[in-house]
Amino acid sequence: MVDVGAIIINGAISGAVFSLLALGFTLIYGVSGVVNLAHGVFFMLGAYMFSSFSSLLGEEVEGILVVSPLALLLSVILAAITVAIVAAIVYKLAIGPVIEDEVAVLVVTVSIAIVFQQIILLLFTPAFHPVPSLLRGYTIFWGLTLTYQRVMSFVVSLVLFAILWIFIAKTKIGGAMRAVSQDREVAMLMGVNTERLYMLTMAISGAFAAIAGIFIASTTTGVANAFMWLEPLALSFSIVILGGLGSIKGTIVGGFIIGYSEIIVTTIYPEIGAIVPAVPFGIMLLVLTIRPKGLFGKRIEMEE
Amino acid sequence: MVTTYLRRAYSSFAAHVFDIPPRLLALLLLSFLITLPLTGLNPYVISVMTSANILAIFGASWDLLVGRTGQMSLGHALFFGIGAYSSALLFEFYGLPLWITIPLAVVIGAACGLLIGFPCLRTKGPYLALVSMAFPLILSSIFYFFDDIFKGEFGIRGLPSFFPSLATKDRMLGNYYLTLLLLFISAVILYKIANSHTGIVFVSILDDELASKASGINVTKYKLMAFTISGLFASLAGAAYAHILGVANPPLLSLTWSFVPVIVTFLGGIGTIYGPIIGAYIYYLLDRYFLTIIIEIPYELIYIRLLVFTLIVAIIVIKWPRGIGRFVTDKLEDLQEGREIEEIMAEREKKKKKKQK
Repeated sequence: MVDVGAIIINGAISGAVFSLLALGFTLIYGVSGVVNLAHGVFFMLGAYMFSSFSSLLGEEVEGILVVSPLALLLSVILAAITVAIVAAIVYKLAIGPVIEDEVAVLVVTVSIAIVFQQIILLLFTPAFHPVPSLLRGYTIFWGLTLTYQRVMSFVVSLVLFAILWIFIAKTKIGGAMRAVSQDREVAMLMGVNTERLYMLTMAISGAFAAIAGIFIASTTTGVANAFMWLEPLALSFSIVILGGLGSIKGTIVGGFIIGYSEIIVTTIYPEIGAIVPAVPFGIMLLVLTIRPKGLFGKRIEMEE
Repeated sequence: MVTTYLRRAYSSFAAHVFDIPPRLLALLLLSFLITLPLTGLNPYVISVMTSANILAIFGASWDLLVGRTGQMSLGHALFFGIGAYSSALLFEFYGLPLWITIPLAVVIGAACGLLIGFPCLRTKGPYLALVSMAFPLILSSIFYFFDDIFKGEFGIRGLPSFFPSLATKDRMLGNYYLTLLLLFISAVILYKIANSHTGIVFVSILDDELASKASGINVTKYKLMAFTISGLFASLAGAAYAHILGVANPPLLSLTWSFVPVIVTFLGGIGTIYGPIIGAYIYYLLDRYFLTIIIEIPYELIYIRLLVFTLIVAIIVIKWPRGIGRFVTDKLEDLQEGREIEEIMAEREKKKKKKQK
């Protein structure tokens, strides 16, 4: 008997976090047309930064690190801000100069990802790095054990979607983002500083990925390592392509589709652990054969 | 009698090779590569150069697909892995010798290129790039899953080498010359294709797909053709590499092997076919020679090597987004044009002076 309740709840939680991860990827593509293959790095950096900040802010009691909830919250915020700054710097130094050349952007972003991977290896060694958990305790809901931190990651993800939605729909900068994504030249003529806008978008994208990284690292595995950027990158681009590149609505829907399908596959066929990474890609290819621009992507335009 | 023939052959050769600078350069590079082992280099360098030859074939096949046809592929490791694995599987299950398995692997690779081409036709631009990146990842998770056939993460080991009867050092030399021969043949074929009528159609698809469609070109056919040719040469490189390593394992399908041809092409110059070949040697020079022999990095800081290498690649791409080779040739062309313009101006000046007189 398949536990439907477990599938519904677990799928919703992982779907929300996956969408959070992929939102940054789609945002920077939608605004500037950059396919940022260094997106997974922000995810990884988020987990590492969170772990470092919390060990800085916490105290060691009898050999065990004890961090107060306030310090944990502070370290999440600090980690997100740090990663946002790193993302903006990466844009300024590496992506900005080649933004016109699609292929060069891909090569540069992958190089950046490997550079960060090596920096992490140098600083933290290849061993697994512990990431503290966010909240203790659990609740039983529908006969299902739910840790508070998973519930919190779901709620925070939804809140962040809402904030992003309002930011893009209501604020002046959000309007500039929409304008640039529609027509860069005209937006520039209207006085939008595209360079600064791209940096801001990159920073938001980095912060979202970092928060997703903190959630996934602290709720599922509890560890971080220097190669953990690849899997989230693959995940986020399958989500984004499924939903349609540049579409925020599509990304959120795509995140939930991928989250649910992974949970469904792993609950029904627990023995196929090795093939799980292929599930998102399989669904992505399936959708692309029907809709080549994803679920909510714009129709194919024949000209560039 | 013989001397006249020789002279005629020589003059024809001179007219076709010496008088055309790129061909002369290619000849110089080739003769340099042929004579390289004779200078008594140590076997390590020879084995590195063998890898560089294979990488050059791989990079050139990527360049035909992406640099010439504009079908952005970030999953070229797929063909590399398919070449390696199909040759290995044919050996494992049917015990065929490698001079049968490698051609068969190449045929399978070309067929896979055609097969992959179909879903890739529907997407383009960044979609195509990301979708193509997924294929090798899917394939490697399938290989992990069916580990009774594909032997999981260890891969299929104990593949026959090219010259089993020779001693290790001679075998390395043999591998080197064989890969050099393969590289030469592939490079000539790819270059001929790129500069033939078909190659021009490829470039027209890169420049403007809609316009080439409107001119009555069967875009679908040519795109599939580019995928097939590219898959063919990439799987040749993969099969040869597997037999030199003696193993076909999942790392051949990893993201690294998808990006190495991209990096190599960018180092050399995109859309040129000869670019990735030069780039492959630059790559190994940077990675294995410059960063290990010239700048000695202590063992504790082993991670710095890849860090510095990727930083150099990133800086090169940021500085010259079309590749170093392309930058140099563009500069040369500019100089040429500048000289021509100067000549024209000088002639005009002369005419003016004559009129004044």
